[in-house]
Amino acid sequence: MTLIDGFTETAASARPRSAATRIWNVVRLHLVDRRTYIGIPWLIVGMAFIVTVFIAQIIGFTTGGLGTADAIEGQRYSWAVMSPQWYLVVVGVQAISFGFPLALGYGVTRRDFYLGTALLFVLISAGNAIAFAVLTQLEQVTEGWWIDTYMFNALWLGLEGFWVDLFSFFVMQLLVFFVGASVATIYMRWRMPGMLVFWSSLVLLIVATVTVITFTSNWIPVSVWFGAQGIAGIFGWLLIPAAIAGVGGFLALRRATPKN
Amino acid sequence: MIGTASPVVRVDGLTKRYGKVTAIDDVSFSVHANKIYGLLGRNGAGKTTIMQLLTGQQFATSGTVQVFGESPVENARVLQQVCFIKESQKYPDSFRADHVLASAPWFFANWDAAFADRLIEDFRLPLNRPIKKLSRGQLSAVGVIVGLASRAPLTFFDEPYLGLDAVARQIFYDRLLEDYTEHPRTVILSTHLIDEVSSLLEHVLVVDEGRILMDQDADDLRGSASTVVGKRTDVDAFVAGRDIISRDGIGGLASVTVTGLTESEQHVARAAGLELSPVSLQQLIVQCTTSRAGAGTGTADFRGSGRTDTTSRTIGAETDNTSKTDAWSTRA
Repeated sequence: MTLIDGFTETAASARPRSAATRIWNVVRLHLVDRRTYIGIPWLIVGMAFIVTVFIAQIIGFTTGGLGTADAIEGQRYSWAVMSPQWYLVVVGVQAISFGFPLALGYGVTRRDFYLGTALLFVLISAGNAIAFAVLTQLEQVTEGWWIDTYMFNALWLGLEGFWVDLFSFFVMQLLVFFVGASVATIYMRWRMPGMLVFWSSLVLLIVATVTVITFTSNWIPVSVWFGAQGIAGIFGWLLIPAAIAGVGGFLALRRATPKN
Repeated sequence: MIGTASPVVRVDGLTKRYGKVTAIDDVSFSVHANKIYGLLGRNGAGKTTIMQLLTGQQFATSGTVQVFGESPVENARVLQQVCFIKESQKYPDSFRADHVLASAPWFFANWDAAFADRLIEDFRLPLNRPIKKLSRGQLSAVGVIVGLASRAPLTFFDEPYLGLDAVARQIFYDRLLEDYTEHPRTVILSTHLIDEVSSLLEHVLVVDEGRILMDQDADDLRGSASTVVGKRTDVDAFVAGRDIISRDGIGGLASVTVTGLTESEQHVARAAGLELSPVSLQQLIVQCTTSRAGAGTGTADFRGSGRTDTTSRTIGAETDNTSKTDAWSTRA
């Protein structure tokens, strides 16, 4: 550093921070309001549980008793365990739509912001996966919290043991965050035209896939293929769209600009 | 240019186009360390775009921007030294002011928590109310507090006082000046309230229609024009052959603003029974930008040959009447 450079930066020059510190600070920025990622999702889980208890009692009353195999099987169709996900996909959107302009205002680079946001998603997904997998086990051990009420042993959870629950929930949670974030990133980068292209391409892709499978009479092989994958296999495949959303979001955000 | 140090900001041939709209048109200027700059201009002149280009928030179409000697785009070394407070800053929906003030120190290494606390009291900012529910002025106070307490070596304030009352604005100016004196840094302030900040500014950059119209030392600029008032015949005789910025008159009286009068010339004018009054920075800039719009000339001098009636109205007797109002919004 030359003398002139030293003078330019003056006494006011700020001590530079390492990349790891900068990225971690983005994680902290997202978590400075703990309600967003922790408080409200668990409040929703709590509310869903109370509702589930009531519904379980209704099922018990109409079917002539909880704790029967039929009643337990019936509760498996409940989506209560997924109730925070509708909120969390919005959180994924807002992580970008609110977080990005704020982080840029704080002098954060797009790269640091995205890496910090992705790290946050991974950490929260891991935390949620552990919590839900453990709650699923506890629910089995306590035989439905001692009142034959099953909320966490629902859909695919609780069928193939702790590790499959842990892995599948982790992937599902990552997918929810990154899908929300990447849609917001497309908007941040290309605004309304980007949204139109994205959503119409997505609809066309789905319709085309259904058309091709139908016209080639392949629905049975497709369902057989899905059946053969098992729960862990299907969620393994879902890592692909999660990764596409994650990497695609990064590439799109590198040239995005905040709205005025 | 002043000083031997290399400039904090160096902009060369900077152009920014949005589709067919040219927001910034081949702009070049430098910003030197530890001065307060005024970035002035009408709405839509390109002030915010320039600030966004300097902070890497927008990408230049062509030209170069160097901040602390490097491109600011995606450059953590540069951006860590920069704080950009804009009037339109968005915050997460659920945020309260205390969330902003808790997180800002993680991003600004020079953050002074005691100073921030003092500013919170000065501005009477409610910390526990959701930002969505804050008044426009309180929202501006959040930005002002972050901008001041961050003590970033290069601080941008983009119209930071929207909705702030006169007392709060004065607090902002006072605190900025006090803290700037103790902790010298480079400040770039865009504002409509030119006369209010006039004494604060050391250098003025005037932007109009994406171009730099004026790039001058504020003291030089303040002394660069005077208004001559008197009998029309006397005034006309005195100003003949001079650079006239604007002209106004009622009956037999005339009031003409001209550039650059020397001591002796001022003496001559007084001897001829003419009254001389200084022209405020705000009036100068208003005349400069409106006459340009009227005349459609591209020059950066003060020749207001194409001035309109609206131009003339602000000059003359009401030297200070307009000073506490928005320079342009009153001129719809």
